[in-house]
Amino acid sequence: MKKKFVFYLSIIVLLGSCYPDGVEYYDETDIVYTNYDDQFDFSSKGTYAIPDKIVKIEGDIIQGEPPEFVKEPQNTQMLQKMQANMTALGWTKVEDPSTADLVLFPAVWTNTTIYYWYDYWCWYYPYYCGWGWGYPSVSSYTTGTLVMTLVADGEEYIDPSRVWTGAANGLLSGAYNISRVNKAIDQAFEQSPYLKTN
Amino acid sequence: MKKLIFLTIACSLFLTTKSFGQAESYTSVHYAVSFGMGDLGDYISKASWRGITVDYRRAVNNNLLVGLEAGWHVFYEKKDFDTYTVGNETLSGVQFRYQNEVPILATADYLIISDSPLKPYIGLGIGTIYSERNTEMGLYRLEENPWQFALKGELGVLYKINFSTSVKFAVKYYNGFKTNSLDNQGYLSINLGMAWDI
Repeated sequence: MKKKFVFYLSIIVLLGSCYPDGVEYYDETDIVYTNYDDQFDFSSKGTYAIPDKIVKIEGDIIQGEPPEFVKEPQNTQMLQKMQANMTALGWTKVEDPSTADLVLFPAVWTNTTIYYWYDYWCWYYPYYCGWGWGYPSVSSYTTGTLVMTLVADGEEYIDPSRVWTGAANGLLSGAYNISRVNKAIDQAFEQSPYLKTN
Repeated sequence: MKKLIFLTIACSLFLTTKSFGQAESYTSVHYAVSFGMGDLGDYISKASWRGITVDYRRAVNNNLLVGLEAGWHVFYEKKDFDTYTVGNETLSGVQFRYQNEVPILATADYLIISDSPLKPYIGLGIGTIYSERNTEMGLYRLEENPWQFALKGELGVLYKINFSTSVKFAVKYYNGFKTNSLDNQGYLSINLGMAWDI
């Protein structure tokens, strides 16, 4: 009777232990976040400026040294996608940021997380814990983030004021895939219909 | 001779009656399919096909059994890419929703019919349910894991297939009561398994 009990329990535990998988593909980790100042009247504005390079943030900038920028052709591809979305929302690009109603500042960065473990079997046999027998396992993953910020700096402002933020984040696959970035940029503007101007 | 035959028949009947005429203590293991209701059903609309329940019942009299029950039921759903807005903030992405329900209950079952190989019964349970709700979006996870006071109602049937073994089929409704982190969590569970007399 005990053997039968253990047998049936084993089968059912196996069935019950098939825990569902989560993420299977890199693009399933892509998320897009937007936030805006609901006191700002976007519809009364019409012009914007945008740099011709996207800043790549890699820590503190050393005084006197220029920042890092996103390389071509990715830089141009991403800027063109942002400009296309702004145009579709009724905005007109101007070259001089001091004359624009808003300035769009894009920036990117990557973040690598490294994790390891070496005492996985300590509970079983302490001899295998450390002392070179721990068989350390090391793994890492890298995420990429794109942030787009619309800043207003007219006469009515004491300091430049952030009125809209769009951010996209996802797990990097190692193979450059502009379609994921373009899709994220499109999504950020699609979920911001309040940006539409007359 | 007649007395001997009479006694033999009487003893046989007595033994037969003893097999079906009273409740017997048992342990049982079941495979469980569960369906979320209320808040749980809104969070995860798909059925749980990953579930196990283990019961222990001790006969108090011919019709009443008391005991313990423990289980593990896993609910899971992958939500396609979608947009979620709260106030001025909007987040888009693929969501992976998991909810683990672990009921631990004291139980009492009443056999409606006890003198038959087929024994329908009704049961009640009182105890606690550990609910673990995980919402994964991108590389982020939101966790809520309260212990909830719980009640259970049950309808089932035991069918004896040999001297010490029965097939058990039961429909159970679990309700975990509201806490600060989660609303009422209720679900219906269909259980099929084997019971062994002890």
